[in-house]
Parts: sequence; structure tokens; C-alpha cells
Amino acid sequence: MSGCDTSGLDVFFNAKSVAVYGASATPNSVGQAIIQNFIKPQYEGKVFGVNPKYRTVLGVDCYPTLQDIPDEVDLVIVAVPARITPRVFEDIAAKGVRAAIVISGGFSETGPRGAMLEDEIVRIGKEHGIRIIGPNCIGVVDTHTHIDTFFLPEYRCGRPKASSTANISLVSQSGAFAAAISDWTSELGIGVSKIISLGNKCDVDDDDLLCYLGNDPSTQVICFYTEGYDLGKGRTFFETARRVTQQKPVIVVKSGRSERAKEAASSHTGSLAGLDSIADAAYRQAGVIRATEFEEMFVMAKALAMQPPAKGDRVLIVTNGGGLGVMTTDALESLGLAVPHPSGELRARLEERLPSYCALGNPCDVVGDTDAGRYDVVFEEAIRSGEYDLFVVGMLLQTPSLGMEITNHIANYQKQSGLPFVVVSMGGSFTRKAGEILELMGVPTYSTGEKGALAAKALVRYGEIRYGNEFHRTVTSEKP
Amino acid sequence: MKTVKKIFKTALDEGRTFVLEDEAKRVMREYGIPVPPFAPAATEDEAVARANEIGYPVVLKILSKDIMHKSDAGGVKVNLNSDEEVRRAFQEIMENATQYGKEKGIDVDLSRGVIVTRFVEMGTETIVGVTKDPQFGHALMFGLGGIFVEVLKDVTFRLIPLTEIDAREMVYEIKAKKILEGIRGQPPRDIDALVEIMLTVSKMVEENPEIVEMDCNPTIVYEQGKGAVVVDARMVIESASSD
Repeated sequence: MSGCDTSGLDVFFNAKSVAVYGASATPNSVGQAIIQNFIKPQYEGKVFGVNPKYRTVLGVDCYPTLQDIPDEVDLVIVAVPARITPRVFEDIAAKGVRAAIVISGGFSETGPRGAMLEDEIVRIGKEHGIRIIGPNCIGVVDTHTHIDTFFLPEYRCGRPKASSTANISLVSQSGAFAAAISDWTSELGIGVSKIISLGNKCDVDDDDLLCYLGNDPSTQVICFYTEGYDLGKGRTFFETARRVTQQKPVIVVKSGRSERAKEAASSHTGSLAGLDSIADAAYRQAGVIRATEFEEMFVMAKALAMQPPAKGDRVLIVTNGGGLGVMTTDALESLGLAVPHPSGELRARLEERLPSYCALGNPCDVVGDTDAGRYDVVFEEAIRSGEYDLFVVGMLLQTPSLGMEITNHIANYQKQSGLPFVVVSMGGSFTRKAGEILELMGVPTYSTGEKGALAAKALVRYGEIRYGNEFHRTVTSEKP
Repeated sequence: MKTVKKIFKTALDEGRTFVLEDEAKRVMREYGIPVPPFAPAATEDEAVARANEIGYPVVLKILSKDIMHKSDAGGVKVNLNSDEEVRRAFQEIMENATQYGKEKGIDVDLSRGVIVTRFVEMGTETIVGVTKDPQFGHALMFGLGGIFVEVLKDVTFRLIPLTEIDAREMVYEIKAKKILEGIRGQPPRDIDALVEIMLTVSKMVEENPEIVEMDCNPTIVYEQGKGAVVVDARMVIESASSD
């Protein structure tokens, strides 16, 4: 049973003509904020207001109904009180528009009365082939087409940017989290393609977007925030995710535990299952990576967006600082990754080409007076040896001997080898600049060994998911 | 699998969603899941006859739609070695059940008597269970029995249907896995037999989605090559499959 229907979803992200139902001249109102988004020069389509009270709002033509608009409309954004939405939907149907985002609250989340209104708009939508996002949501941000229905002013809620290398998309049940993440990722240096707030999921749901984003060429990693699924919808998400995770990584942050299931249980198994462990099992089986919180999600998403998955779990740490090497080793091992020493043969080759005071184990410490050349030697020999599946590179730039060209060297070896690289670079503004440069070249860079290790873990876990039996595992007992 | 559907129909027709132990074991036997020899016995004389057929030592357990947790009601007598012990155990179980009913304020149905089963050798106790989650549907649980499940909650889940890889991952996922691998000079346990039971339970539930809860507790696993056996089974079904 496939639970997803992607028909008609494209227009939510590509509408060339948008109408805002409930456009308003009142400052700080939802109806005004949304109009404001669409009159920014980045949005290249047309925008109309609908509100019998006005002829224009912020210079945008305003009409009493959709049917009065002389042009075609691709997408309607509904920001009017819930009780009049059935009438609005009759108007949407009459105009022949096939997509609506209902921002308004006051529906099923408030009780039986609201639920009736929601049923009514769903009924009209079904009858006329109108896809609906919401209600009770903040809608959509698309960083390529600049469709932006977030009614939050940009000076308070920053909007993320698309990156030229790799982008994530995020689907959030919660509107508040969608906004916070928009704001946060605008400064995080992580490329974002789309953010979608689902609200009550009266039509478009997690399954639909999972399928859609799975086929979306501008999305490299799909992220979800969910509080739970409707009856049986966890199962359909599981079925869909099983397919999509073979194409691209899916990361989920899920809160909310199903305690009701626990109360109703009369067996041992049922009473133990209340602890969220079934969702956990489902994600694992479907190849979905579960993050405990958002920071973890973004650490992993950045690596997965920029780097190929690892074909095995053997990590080589190359560093110019001993302490960083030790901490990173601890973190990697506690995440169940292998940090094996180089073979005698590889070690001999390294010894031949590097100063005797380098510590040539794993971590491979090229020490504090290194230049980019010693890193080159390690990369070259280790890649040729085939003994490692992934590189974690410690790059401490406080020492003047290591020039900025190291960023080029790392990026080149990564590209040539096709092996995943993760860089750890601790420090202040100079270091951060180097990290930004590395990320422009597609190498994810982190401020601590622990974050770098988590990124490595994500690349290994996704490798396991993607390559199945061909994945080369050396650590047999993996900690959950 | 007509037999299985008939067993479930009988239970539902009697207004029960709780499947009695002998019924649950017949269902499992249909699927080839190993269970110790068993037979229901409504009277004391029948119990003795069944015990002799099965062979001593035996276990007697109450069979009543009113008693789901048999030990709590004093409804289990183990390691019985003679006709006389069986008779005494039968009487005690009936008395205990009546007493239990009085305390709970219910009129306990005693008409089905007991289930007589072979008293099996000790081995490593595990639990294989099934639950139905409202969001995700059927899932299978695995863990070691006793304190591992009761206190430490050292269990792991997978959605049904399971693949063999899933089942093997589950066995190696629990913290107490070393016990199955063999510690302190003990030989490793028969993990293949255990995996076979898990996969068969998965198949059974897939084909009979009306099963909403189940505990195979304990499922005793012997040393490698000597198999595994489901000693007690508790099963709950729902009236109409909602899938």
C-alpha cells in the first residue's frame, strides 16, 4: 500500500501567479506580511490580493473575489477566519485553482466544530481536485522560486539560501519550528531548498512530501520534524521511506510518545512498546536516520548533503593536533565506528616520506609544524592503500606553518578519491572563514571533534542503508 | 490455515478476544512453531490420563476465559511426577481459582479445567512478543526473559514482516546478547532455532492480522543444535481486522 500522492504538488513550489485571500492593509497582519513577501523583487511571478475592503494593498491589486481577478491564478494562500473558509473554497473551485495553502487556525486542532469546517474544505477540495497544505500552518518557503508564505518579517525570521553545492529540504508538522529553523539555517551556512510546514495535514501529508522530495532534483537530503502520525500513517510513511532512502538520505526528529498504546496493553510486549521503541524500530528498518534534536539533525544533514556515503566503517583521522585526534577517536569509537591502525606496509610508506617525529598511527598526527604537504602524503598513501572508507581531517589553523591552501588540497583529494571527507576545525574567525571556503568546495566542516564524528557516523550509517550487503563492516556490535 | 481461523472464530463467538493457552498453542503448532506436548483436561481423571500420555514430569495450568495471568491466580503447578501429584495439583488449582474469583468479585469459569503440558528442561529464557501500534501497525519484540525484560527492559523491536537479517540484528542488539553467545564456558545457544521462531511468528501475524497482542514467554533456547521451544503463549485478538 503506497500512501503517497504527489499529483499537483509542484505548483506549491513553482506557482507563477499567487492570490492572497485575506490580503490586508493593517500593519503586522498576516494578510499584509504575506503580500510583502511576494512583492520582493526575487519573486518573479504575479501576485493578487483578495479582500472586498480594499482596491489595493501595498500597491498590489485587490479584488472582492478570486473570480474577479482577470488573470489565471496557480496558488491561493488563505488567511481568513476559519468560519468563512468553506465560502473561500467555493470561490477557489469556481476559479479553477488547484492548490491552496490554508494558514488560518481554528480547525480540527480546536475541537469538533473546527473539525467540521476542516471536513468541509477537504470535501470541496476533493470534489474539485484542489490540493491543500494546512490548515493551521505557515506554509512554504522555496529558496529557488522565492515562493514564501511565512507571515514572519524577515528581520525577525531570516530565510535560508540555496547553496550551489547541495541542499536540504525540511518538512515540519510544527509551524513554530519551521520558522525557527528557517531563521537558524539562514545563518548556519547550510543550503536549503524548501521548508514546508504541514499543520493539520488535512490533505498533503508526510508521505506525499517524502515522495515528492525524493524526486526533487534540488533536494539532496530530506529532513522531517514530526510529533506523530495519524492512525496507520506511521506504517505508510515506513513503506514510502523504505523506497526513498534508497535514493537519498532521510533524517527524522520525532517527539511525542504513544502512551495510550501502553495503557491499553494487557501483554508484556504491549506495555514495553509504549517507550517510543516501535517508531525507532520502524525508522531503522526503513533506513531513516533518527536524530535526537535539531542540532544533531543539521550536523548530519550537512555531511549527507555534501558528501557521498561511506562504503565501510573504517575511519582514518589525520590531524595536526594530538588532543583533537584523541577526542575525535573517542567520539568515533563511542558511535560504533572503526579507527584501525594502518597496516605495516602503509606505515612503512608513510615513514619513508614523513619526518620521524610524526605519529603515524590512527590518529595519524602530522604535528604542529606541518604544512599542507604532509597532509598530501597521508591522503595519497592512505587512499592508494584502500585501507580506509572515510577521512576525518583535523585542521587547526592557529599555527602559521599551515597555509590556507590546505583547503584546496583537502577538497581536491576528496573529489579525486570519491571517498567521503569530514573536516574538524576548531577556532575563531580565521578558522571559520577557512571552514566557509571548504564548504563552498563541498567539504563539510565542524567546530568540534564530536560533531565531526557524528557527521562521519551519518555517512557510515547511510552507506549501510544504501549499499546493504556490499557495505564493509568491521565493527560487529554497534551501539544504538 | 482453516484450523487457525476456526480457533479464532470459536473464541470470538464465545465473546472472548483472549485466546486460551491450548488454543494459542494449537495455532502455533499449525505454523510449525515448537511447543512442548500438551492437551486440555476438564476433569481430574482426564488430567491423569493426559499426563500419562504425555509422560512425566508434567505441568498443570488453569484454562479459563476469566484468568489471563495464571500464576497470579495460583493456577500453575510445575514438575509433577506422579498421578497422585497431578490429582492434588488439579484440586488445588480449582480451589485457588475459585478463591481468586471471590477476591476479584468474579464468577470464574472452571468448566475447561486445565492444560497439561510436558515439564521442559531449563535453558535460556527469552521472550518473543507481538504488539499492534496504532501508528505503525504490528511489531515484533525480542528480549531475554526474567529480570532482563522485567527490570532492565532490555528488549528490541522490528515492524512485521521481519526479514532474516532483521531477526538476527535483533538477537545481537540486546545488551545481554553475550548470554546467548555463551559466557563462562557455556556453549552458545541455538540462535538459528530462535530466529526461525521469530520469523514464523512474523509470518503467522502477517497472515492473521487479527492477532493484536502476543507473548511467547518464556521461549526457552537450548544450546546450539538442540533447538528452542515456546513454553507459554498468551494471545489477544480483535474482532474485525481493521486493515
